[in-house]
Formats: sequence, C-alpha cells, structure tokens
Amino acid sequence: MSASPIRTQSIIGHMDADDRARVRLAVKDLNFYYNTFHGLKNVNLNFYDRQVTALIGPSGCGKSTLLRTFNRIYSLYPEQRAEGQILLDGRNILDPSIDLNELRSRIGMVFQKPTPFPMSIYDNVAFGLRLIERLPKADMDERVESALRRSALWDEVKDKLKQSGMGLSGGQQQRLCIARTIAQKPEVILFDEPTSALDPISTGKIEELIEQLRGEFTIAIVTHNMQQAARISQFTTFMYLGEVVEFGPTERIFMTPEKKRTQDYITGRFG
Amino acid sequence: MSEHIVSSYDKDLQNLRRSIAEMGGIAEKMVADSGQALLRRDAALAQAVIAVDSRLDGLQREIEEKAILLIARRQPLAVDLRETISAIRVSGDLERIGDLAKNVAKRVVAISDQVQLQKIVVGVEHMNELVQAQLKDVLDAYATQDTVAALDVWARDGGIDALYTSLFRELLTYMMEDPRNITFCTHLLFCAKNVERIGDHTTNIAETIHYLATGEPLGSERPKNDASNYTVVNPPSA
Repeated sequence: MSASPIRTQSIIGHMDADDRARVRLAVKDLNFYYNTFHGLKNVNLNFYDRQVTALIGPSGCGKSTLLRTFNRIYSLYPEQRAEGQILLDGRNILDPSIDLNELRSRIGMVFQKPTPFPMSIYDNVAFGLRLIERLPKADMDERVESALRRSALWDEVKDKLKQSGMGLSGGQQQRLCIARTIAQKPEVILFDEPTSALDPISTGKIEELIEQLRGEFTIAIVTHNMQQAARISQFTTFMYLGEVVEFGPTERIFMTPEKKRTQDYITGRFG
Repeated sequence: MSEHIVSSYDKDLQNLRRSIAEMGGIAEKMVADSGQALLRRDAALAQAVIAVDSRLDGLQREIEEKAILLIARRQPLAVDLRETISAIRVSGDLERIGDLAKNVAKRVVAISDQVQLQKIVVGVEHMNELVQAQLKDVLDAYATQDTVAALDVWARDGGIDALYTSLFRELLTYMMEDPRNITFCTHLLFCAKNVERIGDHTTNIAETIHYLATGEPLGSERPKNDASNYTVVNPPSA
C-alpha cells in the first residue's frame, strides 16, 4: 500500500472530550478507475460528524473523484468503477443493493457552478423533496421556507418564490442549490469548489452558511483556495496523484505539516 | 527549501532575512562597543553607540512594515508564516538589545569622571563578552535555522544570570564599604542588569528559532540562575 497511514487515533486525541466526534463516513482501501486510469489509490479517510473536512490538492489529484464516489454519481458512466468500501454509518454505500435515490438524499452535493433547474425558486427547492416524499401543500411550504431560511436566502426571495431560479445572481443561485440539498435533510453535504465562481461577498455568505450548517451536517468541501480551507474546516486532507498524502486537524496542516509535499503545496512551492 | 512558484515571494522573504541580518550586525557591534567604552571609560565611543541606535529602530520599523505587507499580500502559511512572524519577533528583540546597549553607553558618559573600581568594571565587561558570544551564536543559528545551536544558547544563559548575581553582591559590598562608591556602583549595577537583559533577549531569539524550525514553542521553563531578586548583603555590624 503506497498511501501514507492515517493516524486517526492521534487526531481524535487533539479534540476536546465533549467535542470528540464520531466517524460519519469512513473510506476504507478505496480504489477508483476511469477505464484503466487509476484515479484513487488505496484511500483511507474518515469524515467526522458535524465537522468540516477540506480536501485540497492540485488539479487532477483525485479530490473531486473522491467526492463523486460518495453519492455514486460515477455509476452513470459504465467505464468508471470503485473498489473498496465507503461506510456511511457502518453501511457500505458501494454495495450494489443500495438504493441510489435514498443514498443521494442522505448525501447531498453542491457543485462549482450553480445548477438551478429552469423552474421557479419554490419548485427548485421542492423538486428533490417530491422525489422522496409526498407532502401536503402546507408542509411542503414549511419545508421550502425552512430550507431557504437556513440557506440565508429567504429574505432575498420570499416575495418572488414563483419567479425563475435562473434569474437570481450567481451567489443566490448557489445558495438556492444549497437550499435544495438541505431540504432533503441529508446527513452529509459535499461541496465541490462551491465558491470558485463567486465574488468575495457571495463567497463570504457561503462560508458563513457552511459554518452554520456544520452544526447539523457532516461536510466535505473541495477547494483550491487554501485560505478558505484554513478558515472553514476543522480537518484537512491533502491529496496528490490519487493518494492521500496527509490528513489532520486544519491548524496543524496549515502551520506545521508533516510531509514536505504538503508544505510545498500549501506554501506555493509546487514545482 | 525549494523556491516559490511566484519568485517575488522569495524576494520578499529574502529581504526580511537580509534586514534581520543587518540589524543583528548593528546590535552586535553596539553591545561590543558599549562594553569597550565601559572598560576604557571612552565617552566618545559611548556617544557613537548612542548615535547608531536610531538606525536600529528604523530597521525594526521597516521589518515590521514589510512583514505586515507580506501577510496582507501573500497570506503566508506554514514555514512562510512562521518565518514572517519570527522576523517581527526577532527584530523586536534586537531593537531592545540596541536600547539596552545604548543605556550602558549613556551610563559610561555619566561615570567617566567618577571614582574608578577597575576590578569590578572588568567583571561587567567579562559578562558583556559572554553575552556577545551568545548573541553571535544565536544570530548564526537564526541564519541557518539551526535548532541545536539555538537550544545551546538558550541553556547557556543560566551562566550569565549566575555571574550577574555574584556581581550584584560584589557591588553591594563596595557600596557599603565606602559611600563615595555609591554613584559609580549604582551605574555599574544598572550596566550589569542591562547586559543580563541582553542575555534574556538572546534566549528569546533562541526560542523563536525553535518555533521557526519546528512550529512548536519551547515548552519547559528555561534554567534560571539569577538569584539577585533574593540577594541581601548585611552591613558589617557597627
């Protein structure tokens, strides 16, 4: 096994006793292939309950591939396959018997480019819910409002819920996508560079939102912005060429990384 | 350490290093010259020490500004952040070292026409030489990020503290022997105290080097042998 060992034990030791997080999502010996290309190599990694874990690394290192395995988006493409285990509360989500609709409501994803559906703001949020639940109108209204409130979008859209989601600004569209995701009450939310297409103000709002959502969800975020990873995550994973190079509490990764490769990357010395 | 992708980042850090080296050179010379001025009661040399201190102050402000600008511009992380913060800390210590050497020089001017007690002046100068060696070693250790050498400086400061305590006793004794010694001895006592404080700042720099190289603060208490706080010399019974 070429991946460096992950010392989960010592990392948990860093946390306060009452803050001691349990593992929500455990990746064990995960390998991923695009045809013959070996995209992820023996990845072992834990994601902790109500903690934000940042995935950093140069383009093509496997960060997004890893996120894509968590809700099995890759299974849309026959030439892509994953081997190993990803345990969500102890159950292997790579198991073929897993109901993908249920899985995707438990593990939500927000992408780099906002992806509102060409429908009203209200329906954008209600759409996912209708797939998994039959709710009376009043309940649906309440769920939509709650999701929009928790996405810090309600005040901006409450008077125009029937207007198209496509008419919102980029930052608002991204928050709408977050509302759509959290309306389904997922356990894990995956963010794939959620702010790379946004201006600093919208970025700040999304970061503030992620900080709030941390109280309820397990969050994984892929970001190319090192300061963003340092600001919003509790744990950071540095990946390179499909391997996990280093994993640890964020402040340690950014102040005293153990691996030279990690240090070179975060300090901008990557040759 | 390999180079940054952005080469001007390397230049910024090199600039900080160069300014620290320049400050170190000036501070070393100030400490050495203040010791010589004291030994020879050379008021002219003492005046030169006093005059050069403003250059040190200016450099410290410059380093601080450069470091703050570097943080704002580049958001340094890991070793780069530690180096930037260390530059701020070390320049602060060197600026204080300059102030203390300047204070010794001022006292040399004040006591140049006082009673001479060369034996004890030699004692203070000896302490000064030990501190100079410490300062030189710690500046070399900073330039090479040599933690072992830095820890060595850190541990050796106890010897300077012990010497200070014995000088303190000796000076009290001289003052009790003859009240005409009091002015001279008091100034000399402050000189010795200043030199001892310079030693403390060199250990601060040693601690910063350890942080710079490892990211960890030096945990345990430094061995201290300055017992002058508790030292009493009773006058001979009348």
